Amino acid sequence: MTFQARRQRDSLLFLAPYAISFACFVVLPVIVSLTLSFMQFDLTNRSAIQFIGLRNYHEAFGDSYFWQALKATLSYVVLMVPSILVVSLGFALGLNGMVKGRNTVRAILFLPGMFNVAVTVILWHWFYDGEFGLFNYLLKGIHGPHVPWIDDRSIAMPSIVLMSLWWVLGGTSVILLAALQQIPKPYFEAAMLDGAGVRAMFSRITLPLLRPVLLFVVVTNTIAGFQVFGQPFLLTRGGPELVTRGLVQYIYETAFNNYRLGYGAAMSWLLFAVIAVFALVQYQFLRRSTA
Amino acid sequence: MNRTWKLVNTWLMRLIALIFLSPVVLMVLTSFKPEAEVLNPESLIPKHWTLSNYLHVLGWREEAPFLQWLCNSLFISCSITFLVVAFSSMAAFSIARLRAPGGNAFLAVIVATMMVPAQLFLVPLYLMLSKLHWLDTPAALIVPATAGGFGVFMLTQFMRAVPEAVEEAAVIDGSSTLGLFLDINIPLCAPAIATLAIFTFVGSWNDFLGPLVFMDSIRNYTLPVGIALYQTSYYTEYGLTLATSVLATAPLIVVFMAFQRQIIESMASTGLKD
Repeated sequence: MTFQARRQRDSLLFLAPYAISFACFVVLPVIVSLTLSFMQFDLTNRSAIQFIGLRNYHEAFGDSYFWQALKATLSYVVLMVPSILVVSLGFALGLNGMVKGRNTVRAILFLPGMFNVAVTVILWHWFYDGEFGLFNYLLKGIHGPHVPWIDDRSIAMPSIVLMSLWWVLGGTSVILLAALQQIPKPYFEAAMLDGAGVRAMFSRITLPLLRPVLLFVVVTNTIAGFQVFGQPFLLTRGGPELVTRGLVQYIYETAFNNYRLGYGAAMSWLLFAVIAVFALVQYQFLRRSTA
Repeated sequence: MNRTWKLVNTWLMRLIALIFLSPVVLMVLTSFKPEAEVLNPESLIPKHWTLSNYLHVLGWREEAPFLQWLCNSLFISCSITFLVVAFSSMAAFSIARLRAPGGNAFLAVIVATMMVPAQLFLVPLYLMLSKLHWLDTPAALIVPATAGGFGVFMLTQFMRAVPEAVEEAAVIDGSSTLGLFLDINIPLCAPAIATLAIFTFVGSWNDFLGPLVFMDSIRNYTLPVGIALYQTSYYTEYGLTLATSVLATAPLIVVFMAFQRQIIESMASTGLKD
């Protein structure tokens, strides 16, 4: 066997374990999922399993729970993404300007991201609890109002967002800080010599140079936001009156509580479509504004 | 910026850090309080330190076998981490160094599928795993996790940067392909592999949706699902649920302390590449 032939054989041997896993657990599920989405596939009614064409998709468009779930997901994304962007940029600038102790503060901000969603929710449920909650206890101490953090239709989602911010801000701040530190110092020195103020330097140097990273943050957090599940599922169970039940929770309940796998698969594809549209629009925006 | 502003900024960031840290400190302190004190939080520091919450949690057998969940989580996360690192580094080596036929096209497909949200895989995997009779076994969580594309994508970039000359020298010295992989590429990419291992471990340790859907019996749960179940049953017994949270988080805090710099810096660099 020649050296080349041996290399080629070895290359396939090394690739095989991952390639097999990829074929079985990425390619095959995508095919199965697509097929399921065109089927009536209720585990509770196995005799009626059949192809029904686009009826699942059709059903989703007429399903008020689907629209409600999409609305809940959107309200999470709309509250979450701008907050992450603004606050973590603030944190990154603050960290960058620190005289000393920067790494300690950075580590502390990052720490909550290590918690799993169940622990995060247990902790914040204790803060938010209407009766025994820490926040209301503290508010009572300063004669503040009693806030129904997770029991009110209009406050529940902002409460979920506040908790999620504590959970994820550190990671985003760290990413933005790294980008800030990559801006060459002479840019600022030259601007300073030309008499530019802090504000001008921020809007003319910092922001334009951070743009690709800021848009990376926006796109990744938008994608993650559309997939929100654990926080509302555990903190409010999607309530009150389903206002915090997002699409993933609705898909989960459709497929695994009601065992309607076909309809669940169809809604997963719709979720993917929504995410893809948002990601593409943001990506176009990113390309145009940095070109 | 002048000195005063720098000082104000530094203290402001310290204050924010304190606010971020306070929930964690409160969680730990409160978990050592007897139940009566928990609901009446006059003092932050327990008046009567007690281990009763922890003993209670660890003593559970049937309805909430905490130690069993801990073992499940450890076994599942370690297996996933080992397999992901092994499969990804082998595939990356094959694509980057051995120039596997079609390797670059395969890599493009891998990257494209990374954009598909994980939820899309839930329903078909559930069906497939039930056909395989893997539901409610660790295999349901471990085996599909090896198909993740991030590791292959990242390690391929790193292995492409390994100098050709080092490998040629090894080949002339009679090194086998396996030798090239184990003695040259793995050690040279050790930092990237460590990053992948940490990310994979933390990700699988905190995974919630997977075990929620694929695991059925309480004794097979992983920690996040176990303690979430526990939170529903012992809603307002915050002393107990907080003690559980501390126990469930402790292993990760140890990992975080040990690899703090590495974890943060690899997170930071995710936004920088391209």
